Amino acid sequence: MALSTLSSITTNGDLLALITTLKMAALSTVILLLIGTPLAWWLAKMQSRAKVFIEAIVALPIILPPTVLGFYLLIAFAPQSAFGQLWQQITGSQLAFSFSAIVLGSVLYSLPFVVQPLQRAFEQLGNSYLEAAAMLGAKPLDSFFSIVVPMTKASFITATSLGFAHTVGEFGIVLMIGGNIPDETRVLSIALFDHVEAFQYGQAHLLAAGLLIGSFILLSLIYLLNHVRGDQHVVGKNHD
Amino acid sequence: MINDKGLKQDLKLELDIKLQANFDHFNLTVSQKINSAGITGIFGHSGSGKSSLLRIIAGLEKNHVNGNITFNQRELLNTKTQLFVPPEQRNIGLVFQNSRLFPHLSVRQNLEFAQKCLIKSNQNKNSTLNIDDIIALTQLTPLLAKQTSQLSGGEQQRVALARAILAEPKLLLLDEPLSALDKHSKANMLALIVTVQQQLNIPILYVSHSLAELQQVASELLILANGTVVDYGDVHQVIHRLNHAQQHNKAQLISPQTSLALPIFAHNEQHALTQLALSDSQSIYLPLLSSNDNETSSSNYPVGAMLRCYIFADDISLSLTEPSNSSIVNHLLGQISTIEKFGEYSALITISCSEHSFFAQISLMSQQKLQLEVGKNIYIQFKASAIKTLANSSLVNTNNRHISSTLFQNQQAPIEE
Repeated sequence: MALSTLSSITTNGDLLALITTLKMAALSTVILLLIGTPLAWWLAKMQSRAKVFIEAIVALPIILPPTVLGFYLLIAFAPQSAFGQLWQQITGSQLAFSFSAIVLGSVLYSLPFVVQPLQRAFEQLGNSYLEAAAMLGAKPLDSFFSIVVPMTKASFITATSLGFAHTVGEFGIVLMIGGNIPDETRVLSIALFDHVEAFQYGQAHLLAAGLLIGSFILLSLIYLLNHVRGDQHVVGKNHD
Repeated sequence: MINDKGLKQDLKLELDIKLQANFDHFNLTVSQKINSAGITGIFGHSGSGKSSLLRIIAGLEKNHVNGNITFNQRELLNTKTQLFVPPEQRNIGLVFQNSRLFPHLSVRQNLEFAQKCLIKSNQNKNSTLNIDDIIALTQLTPLLAKQTSQLSGGEQQRVALARAILAEPKLLLLDEPLSALDKHSKANMLALIVTVQQQLNIPILYVSHSLAELQQVASELLILANGTVVDYGDVHQVIHRLNHAQQHNKAQLISPQTSLALPIFAHNEQHALTQLALSDSQSIYLPLLSSNDNETSSSNYPVGAMLRCYIFADDISLSLTEPSNSSIVNHLLGQISTIEKFGEYSALITISCSEHSFFAQISLMSQQKLQLEVGKNIYIQFKASAIKTLANSSLVNTNNRHISSTLFQNQQAPIEE
């Protein structure tokens, strides 16, 4: 990016990056909840010894350098790969360096942040209320939405916020599989990196502080909510 | 009016159970037909398998269970054909020991939840029970707006019972419904269970480790010990058969006692005694069945009504002559029908009085002194306060008071199910 670019244009670029980031995080969070909830339920109810391995796989993104995940995804998403070709056939567009690629990457990367709080909540809730609901004739899906979800509401809020915040903050994977295409894969963390590389410390400060404060506010809200509500129903005195 | 068709919907229970369940350290083998329209008590000590049996009937235990269960001609379980009807489709209700009310819903919402489930499960049919009738029946009106965490244990169980009824089960299972309650709530809840059964005519399987509870309400009794059925039949007959367990080299599961159901003949306010008719000519007396407590006042015990009561065998003493100058209120002439050794130092004597069997536990020394033998006429005597019943505050959990641990020959260490 040229040094002579007017600050107003850069700000427009940053605005575009912000919109891309929010779009990516929102879409990822929705997909995460759709995948993560049944996965967390399955893990919570699982009694097989294979459980620990699946838990380990889900937790991998927490400790793995994002570049490792990014590297494998880059290979998987490449137009020559089987998955990349399949994607091309179905959607008609290339997967690597696309918005879809960074959403898929984010889903994998933020999975533990959604699955773990939900799994813990489901485990704590136990079977007793579900058994009670079944004995009243409630179908499993009905019990899930009218008993489990309201009783683990706080954990759903935590899972959603953490999934969203973690996706906003990711860098390595997006850099590896997204490239840096404005309005497509250029997210805030990448824009910040660009500014620093280009010695645009003013804009860098703006983005860094914005991300810092935004994350701080979001996390404070989560903790505040958890303090007020607790998972009070889950650990309530009615529990077996 | 409790439902459209009038008060009662004539529900009968035909339950055919043939199953074997292998849990960790514990096997349950039951082959039993249960036919009853009333309350069937399932009695056993901890680890006898009674709660497991109830959970298998409910459909809450699936793994490690083999066999089949047929409920009113409908197969619920058949492991040969791999049939397993899930609990929500069995039309069976269950009141758990620990209410399990949904804590995020108010009392009323808990009740409405059951009704919603019912309406969803039979699309075009509306519920036959009116929620307000059930609320009145279970005396829940003042509690409706409360959160479940604000309720006492007794109130929680009343809500749990009402909630179970509103799902309109064809069979209601009660799993130790009184065990978490205080003495006063126990008596009220027990009375409510009887009322509910009579008003709605739902067959009930009632699991308890307290024989006192079951003696008060059950028409039939199923006895479980170490995962097998020991006996099944009329409540009084089963209790009397259990008295003789030692005679058949079986574990003594209960303290020997006389179980009776007798009509109330009169209330004598002056002497504070209630008279029960044993026969046309013989009566027994117990402390007056009325108290300051409104909920168990004598109005619940009209003359002519049947009263369930029991007398522990070691509360009955024997005399060769009519005890005319004794403070003891009850004395009856009877004939000894059996004598058996009970434990190391005592004997269990069965006396037949007006076609009722009475059981007296006396020391071997007394037996020799009185030279007791089968066929001999004898007077039995016991205090009015020895007659235990629901209204009587001494009802609860005095049942196993004199069973020494050595008598549980075959009892394994209790496993909590």
